[in-house]
Amino acid sequence: MKVRRSLPLIAFGTFLIVMQAFAQVDPGVRGGIPGAGDPLPTVASNSPANILTFFSDAKTRFQEVASVKGQLSGESGVGLGPRYNSRSCASCHSQPALGGTSLATNPQVADATADGATNTVPYFITLTGGVREARFPYVADAAGNPDLTKPDGAVQDLYTIAGRTDAGSCTSAFISQPNFTGARDHNNIVFRIPTPVFGSGLMENIDDADLIDFKNSIVGNSLGIAGTFNRSGNDGTISRFGWKAQNKSLVMFSGEAYNVEMGVSNELFTQERPTSAEERAAGLAMQCRVNKMPEDHTNVDATTAVATPSDAVMFAMFMRLLKAPVQQMDPTKIPSIVNGESLFAEVGCNKCHNPQFTTVESDITNSLSNAPVRLFSDLEIHHMGTGLADNILQGNAGADQFRTAPLWGVGQRIFFLHDGRTSNLPFAITSHSSTNSEANAVISNYNALSTTQKQDLINYLRSL
Amino acid sequence: MPLLLMLWFSVVVPKNTIMIKGAAPGVSDPATPVPEDGRVAERRYRNDYFGLSYPIPAGWSEQPAGPPPSDGGSYVLAQFATSRAYVLVTAQDLFFTPRPVANAKELLAAVRSRLDAHFEIESEPREVTIAGRTFHRFAYKAPHSGLHWHVLTTDARCHALTFTFAGTDLAALDAAEAGLQALSLHRDAPRCVSSYDAIVKKSDPTFTTQHFNTIPVRVIIGKDGRVKHIHLLSAFPEQSAAIIDALKTWRFAPNEDEIETGLVFGR
Repeated sequence: MKVRRSLPLIAFGTFLIVMQAFAQVDPGVRGGIPGAGDPLPTVASNSPANILTFFSDAKTRFQEVASVKGQLSGESGVGLGPRYNSRSCASCHSQPALGGTSLATNPQVADATADGATNTVPYFITLTGGVREARFPYVADAAGNPDLTKPDGAVQDLYTIAGRTDAGSCTSAFISQPNFTGARDHNNIVFRIPTPVFGSGLMENIDDADLIDFKNSIVGNSLGIAGTFNRSGNDGTISRFGWKAQNKSLVMFSGEAYNVEMGVSNELFTQERPTSAEERAAGLAMQCRVNKMPEDHTNVDATTAVATPSDAVMFAMFMRLLKAPVQQMDPTKIPSIVNGESLFAEVGCNKCHNPQFTTVESDITNSLSNAPVRLFSDLEIHHMGTGLADNILQGNAGADQFRTAPLWGVGQRIFFLHDGRTSNLPFAITSHSSTNSEANAVISNYNALSTTQKQDLINYLRSL
Repeated sequence: MPLLLMLWFSVVVPKNTIMIKGAAPGVSDPATPVPEDGRVAERRYRNDYFGLSYPIPAGWSEQPAGPPPSDGGSYVLAQFATSRAYVLVTAQDLFFTPRPVANAKELLAAVRSRLDAHFEIESEPREVTIAGRTFHRFAYKAPHSGLHWHVLTTDARCHALTFTFAGTDLAALDAAEAGLQALSLHRDAPRCVSSYDAIVKKSDPTFTTQHFNTIPVRVIIGKDGRVKHIHLLSAFPEQSAAIIDALKTWRFAPNEDEIETGLVFGR
């Protein structure tokens, strides 16, 4: 009797497996040359004079590994910690080339114990899981119990310098890692992965008026999409960098990352960061304030122009002068990719992932002037619903509002969505739909496509 | 600490829940209906603000709720779907369109004019009568995907109320569109005045934090010139409180009708 009953189940299971074989698949990271990581054309031709020297020096600094005092061999960057997520800009921004995003192998595993550090690798960091930073939406006690009346949202760095050979008297008696397992047990932890920074100078040089014009152009659309902008709290102009478009400029972006991700205080973010618990108590332990502040600053005694700017300014320079990723089509898939491009527009993806803007005149280098910016983003923040909400407020961006992720270079990215929860593009697409999301109708359109059409759309995205 | 006691004190942040709000809608009084407060009951979508009762197509199911009202005055009121077709019910507050639009007909004309050239027009915008009301209908399709859109919009209490039937199952779309004849849409409502400047007394709200955001505010003004109802479509909590406090002190010239109008604070 039992056998007879299970036969239909087996048949149904086989049917599902067969159907699965026909479902659209993500072909994965496309091969070929990276098509990214190089300087803009006029930078490569050193116009104006000296700009290539700035790019090259900035690139070197971007790859530099930091240590606490900058005195360890091969680790000449100064100011690591006392808390950090990794030890170099390149740790987070290297796929498929320098300036990109998370590599397949996560350097944060090695960072935990580098140079004698005694950190425990948190449960969410694995060798193959992609670089991550963690935030606690709410202030929590030592056991991890969140206080739901006290929003937090700050980055909780993974590691401390305790135990490192260059940490001096900053030992585990004075500083400790956050209680990540407690946060997990209370669902009080969310993650972010690095954003790629290719083509950032082009994004920086799009005029606010053009962004507003695009926003206004979709009013009354048949998809229920609205969107708004995150704005600088200082001057009210549109901010555009980071997962929630929380950073106004590349200098701000790099200054924040230098302090938050690597623990290097600088001229934009001038203090070492205590945790909220430390701030409520006696503050960051004096034993862990190893260097004079700020650790990165303008080098007023430098003898060359290129050596004078701070690291934060030069990181911004590197990002600004990187050319954008270039679409590459697999010759065997060209008809599919061409059809996928049409479907991208017909489904309505382009209502947010706007294929192209144009920059205004630039006084930095000609490649940034009146240039097409094929970033596939409107740089607006949109409600993405409860399924993606992280309950972090940043500027005007609320709990479920995220900047439309630029899709240029998506063909060579490994991890998707703000927290890197998937490496599967079809899953990333359908994750756009949930309660309160602006993308629900677009995903309904996507779901109405045939399997072949969905595959064409995926192939198109992987060509970008 | 005993285990039971620990569990008692244990707090878990709810999953898939928006706990910490940014800019969000707000009201001066919860009793007065607002556009976003629709509900499904007895297979009909009902919305007290519009006086709308819409029969959900047979076999179609309610989809996840849409986003909150936008700072440009757009609402996603509801979505219902079958496997390859859906209807999206939206409203655009005509007080807050970024570019001036007087009515539903003009809004649809603007949508038509901006439609990408590679879409194929199936039916140019034209006036139709549905359930005794004037609607404006526009239909188009996409050549590669086979998606069709039938857009029907009508003027309803200071808004363009729009039903968009979309999908690849044309028969399902046609049937659902035909079902629109069974909707009812009626309500005694204040008179809509897009720019009502008969202000006698006003005081500006004071914001303690600068967000540089746009704050659309829909107000109902009583015959005595007092503000009866305030609906903020998108505002941070401290902005909502400051605007409501300020507007309660505003006085307009007395009028023989109740007036519904829009004000924009912030940027």
